[in-house]
Amino acid sequence: MAERTDARTWTHRAVFLMLAFVIIVAQLVPLDMRPTAWAAPDLLLVITLVWVARKPRYLPVLVIAFVFLAADFLFQRPPGLWAALVVMLTETIRRQHREFRQMPLFVEWGTITFGVVAITVLNRLALAITMVPQAPLGLTLIQMIGTILIYPLVVLIAHFIFGVSRAAPGEVGSRGQRI
Amino acid sequence: MAKDKNSEDYVGPIRRLAVGLLVLVLFGIFLFWRIDSPRAERLRAEAIDTFVPSFAWAMAPINGVINLISDFESYQQLRAQNQDLRRELQQMKAWKEAALQLEQENAKLLDLNNVSLDPQLTYVTGVVITDSGSPFRQSVLVNVGARDGIIDGWPTMDGIGLVGRIAGVGQNTSRVMLLTDTSSRIPVTIQPSGQNAILGGDNTLNPPLEFLEDTAMVRPGDRVVSSGDGGVFPADLLVGQVALGTDNRLRVRLAADYQRLEFLRVLRSQPHEEIPDPTDLLAPEAEFFGPAALTPSALTTSEVGDG
Repeated sequence: MAERTDARTWTHRAVFLMLAFVIIVAQLVPLDMRPTAWAAPDLLLVITLVWVARKPRYLPVLVIAFVFLAADFLFQRPPGLWAALVVMLTETIRRQHREFRQMPLFVEWGTITFGVVAITVLNRLALAITMVPQAPLGLTLIQMIGTILIYPLVVLIAHFIFGVSRAAPGEVGSRGQRI
Repeated sequence: MAKDKNSEDYVGPIRRLAVGLLVLVLFGIFLFWRIDSPRAERLRAEAIDTFVPSFAWAMAPINGVINLISDFESYQQLRAQNQDLRRELQQMKAWKEAALQLEQENAKLLDLNNVSLDPQLTYVTGVVITDSGSPFRQSVLVNVGARDGIIDGWPTMDGIGLVGRIAGVGQNTSRVMLLTDTSSRIPVTIQPSGQNAILGGDNTLNPPLEFLEDTAMVRPGDRVVSSGDGGVFPADLLVGQVALGTDNRLRVRLAADYQRLEFLRVLRSQPHEEIPDPTDLLAPEAEFFGPAALTPSALTTSEVGDG
């Protein structure tokens, strides 16, 4: 976090916040109050993972914690638990993002899959230990699988629309700092 | 990692410590919520109360676009819809006649019996602002709150049937837990057999009936109304109709239109008058006749009553 940041990074941070806001609000819009038999992928989680795996500079850990804590509060989830798990996962990915540069997408995708499954299981485990009523297992699984499957698509969208792609080896920022 | 060790040598550990602290704080929030749930939920209600109503400007365009799309779809089916509506109108006319006759008959009977309906059941109408935003929770936020005198636990209806109950009140907003939520349990009565059951939400559109004494007496199509047991809900609010689910359980087809909840009525439900001691209900002690009236205690009370 002590790295110097240029204007472009700040713009990208603002873009991420806007995107997160739009996703949260879109989920809150009251369209159909009938319970559904399936659950949509967790878009907020996917974009966070893509951003962290591709350009971790654009996504400080405090922003992640804030966005997911707010989502926990707004979506009636137990506050804090999911946010903490997501922060842990993104920190793990952040530490590996340099290795991702040289790897094919499949390896990155595999790591992400493992991470998403891990935090989903941990979430259910924590809720079971603290005896909090849980969401139906089927829905959780559908959401988890959807979240994993949509990852490459979001990678493409992030690359072509939002300009979030892997930094080439040796690439430097506008002030010559390391990325 | 190895090639940029020099740049992260001093930042790394501090950053890791800070992140660790952050995770601890987040887990701390979760534990606080777990230990003191009512207080945390009140905090949540206050936070939502402050922020969500100001999201309206962001929701308006999304709502607009989706309405546009659905309107466009309905234009395409205009002809089919028109025919359907006409057929329905024919049926409705027949029903209207029947309803008018029944209304007159009902009014006459009420008059004959001198029945006074519960006058205390008034309502506040609110607009739905948001839904729960997650497929695992079935609740909506309405724009009436403590400011309008809303109290936790009050029943909520749309124009026709019961929708849910108030669970969480903020200053300007309150949350309505729908009947379909997994933690919703409502005591109901099934008409005409008079069987009591619990309507337990299970995240499906048609919640199952639980703890039914005699399933043989209940048929699909029977009316389900709230029973008022436990003093939580007023009695006789329409919930829906019994239906046999594909899993052979008795479920309820809800009367409220869950597809589009826009306006909700929050009923001001007054607490039941409690009858703590059944003997007081039968008659005042002084008016007992026979041997019981001759005991000294009964005599004194009757004298007091006379004087």
